[in-house]
Amino acid sequence: MDSLQLLIDGFGAALTPVNLLYALVGVTLGTLVGVLPGIGPAMTVALLLPITFTVPPASAFIMFAGIYYGGMYGGSTTSILLNTPGESSSMITALEGNKMARRGRAAQALATAAIGSFVAGTIATALLVVAAPAVVAFAISFGPEDYFALAILAFTAVSAVLSRSLVRGLASLGLGLVIGLIGIDQQTGQARLTMGIPQLLDGIDVVIVAVGLFALGEALYVASRLRHSTPEVVPVGRAWMGRSDWARSWKPWLRGTALGFPFGALPGGGAEIPTFLSYAAEKRLARGTAREEYGKGAIEGVAGPEAANNASAAGTLVPLLTLGLPTSATAAILLAAFQQYGLQPGPQLFDHNPALVWGMIASLFIGNTMLLVLNLPLAPLWARVLRIPRPYLYAGIVVFAALGVYALNGTVVDLVVLYVLGLLGFAMRRFGLPVAPAVIGMILGPMAEIQLRRALAIGAGDVTVLVKSPVAVVLLLLALGALLTPLVRKLAVRRELAPTVIHEED
Amino acid sequence: MSSPDTPVRAPSGEPPTGQAPRHWWRPELVLALVVLALGVLVIVGTLNVSAAASQLGIGPRFFPTLVGGAMIVVGVFYVIDVLRGGQGDPEESEDVDAGAPADWRSVALVSGIFLAFVTVLNVVGWIIGSALLFFGLSVVLGAGHKVRAAVVGVVLGLVTYLLFVKGLGVTLPAGWLRGVL
Repeated sequence: MDSLQLLIDGFGAALTPVNLLYALVGVTLGTLVGVLPGIGPAMTVALLLPITFTVPPASAFIMFAGIYYGGMYGGSTTSILLNTPGESSSMITALEGNKMARRGRAAQALATAAIGSFVAGTIATALLVVAAPAVVAFAISFGPEDYFALAILAFTAVSAVLSRSLVRGLASLGLGLVIGLIGIDQQTGQARLTMGIPQLLDGIDVVIVAVGLFALGEALYVASRLRHSTPEVVPVGRAWMGRSDWARSWKPWLRGTALGFPFGALPGGGAEIPTFLSYAAEKRLARGTAREEYGKGAIEGVAGPEAANNASAAGTLVPLLTLGLPTSATAAILLAAFQQYGLQPGPQLFDHNPALVWGMIASLFIGNTMLLVLNLPLAPLWARVLRIPRPYLYAGIVVFAALGVYALNGTVVDLVVLYVLGLLGFAMRRFGLPVAPAVIGMILGPMAEIQLRRALAIGAGDVTVLVKSPVAVVLLLLALGALLTPLVRKLAVRRELAPTVIHEED
Repeated sequence: MSSPDTPVRAPSGEPPTGQAPRHWWRPELVLALVVLALGVLVIVGTLNVSAAASQLGIGPRFFPTLVGGAMIVVGVFYVIDVLRGGQGDPEESEDVDAGAPADWRSVALVSGIFLAFVTVLNVVGWIIGSALLFFGLSVVLGAGHKVRAAVVGVVLGLVTYLLFVKGLGVTLPAGWLRGVL
């Protein structure tokens, strides 16, 4: 098998002492920011972009892969021990996980989350190894109109799925697209929307956008509504689980993986839906003790969703690496990282840079193993990180945000732009606009424009070239479907509601 | 019996935005109008970009017009939605009390401290600037022990400067401490 050979070569590249060190730094940083409230993997990778510029790309991506997977592990620790999850994907874990912790079973909850994440991450990464070459073989014949349709699908799916309100998702997407327009047009060299400010000619750097929307926006939001009670962290020792916990966990792990991977690979799928589906499935399948414990801290309700969460993270990498299509905010930042090195993810990347791609995939296996080793015995340490006083935490986040943005170009103009974007991030949080569509729109927008212009140039201005290929037609229909889903859902709820109303009036 | 419309919107029991009798004015209207205005701005702002008409296909104005047009449509729907009383879910977060009323004083202070930091950064340098930024923000956010906050700020400024400038080769302003370190 060809990809197996390439994967073995990838392990050869990833298993050098230096790259192992980068992987270790990555998973440690990833777990740390995953545990800490207020920052996530997307912002961490963004902050590291200016600093890793001198690092060879293979090593940098090994580190980013570690941060990406580490963030997932850290998030579960927070939701189990603190019960106020930040990432929506670990919200479900808190339902049963925190109840387990309060009943004195924190060690078992953390263990089933960590081991389940390891199992799911390993299986899902193996699925990535199998799926990626297949998608590449299919996508190699894609024309610009197909890529344009793909971008449209990603835009609509992300906007429709991530928010309960379609108009707010689309507004967020539009804000990102506008930010992406600022600067010199790549094809004709014309300046657009720069308002005469020379620093804006190169466009607004993705680092500033990500750090502004995520870090500064979060700090301002927290300032506006700080929870003044100190968070209650459940104390915990070394994470472990007994024989009966294993017996109850392994099936939910596998079912969670099966749900998580495909959803992660779909545009707009994300981690929220599969974790919720896994939770619901385990609840329905629960028998005996599990059934009694559900709602009071059943281990199945932690094992399944956590596995689904990690499997979806691996699934997200399929469209990112094979098509250059980001389906989450973190994936969008990873895409920007590729671009910083002059690399364009897609079928060609597998051809031109097999060492880099397969080295990164191999490092996902390595990082996953490291995370297991790091998380089981070190659980008490991560629990202590959770007790950092909030004023210091958010002040520190702002200091690092300023550091990362200033390090980009060494100019305070960037810091002013950072503040404006921070205000935007604050407003978006307050009014419930999802941030991810903005980040995806900003990064994918310019690529969508290039593909659109290429397609129309090939068609000599004939707009029907956009729907000439069957692939593009299918993708555009799916995009339309994504836009209509919220409306259909609303109608369905209304119809479902009507009979109940009648029923109750009986 | 509730009207069939209410459960469609808010299943998660969110806090009502205004206790006051229903009024057309809501703060979110500002954001919706910004979206709408940005759409107009994109179209107007790219009018002067001269399209290279000789080129095959489309010039640099086509895509902005598309984006601007879409923003106007979305903006109009957004304004209508806000006026009709629609609302999104305020983002949930570990340290946020979603039910609490907005503390505008803290937001203003955080903004002021950050902008002051931006103004003086190049003069005083990273170490002093970031130490002051950390101290100011942590006090505004409720740090009880002011001396400890100051010490942490100074240590943070020093460590980040040494680590990033000496260790990783990042450029940060030295300011008043030029020559000392």
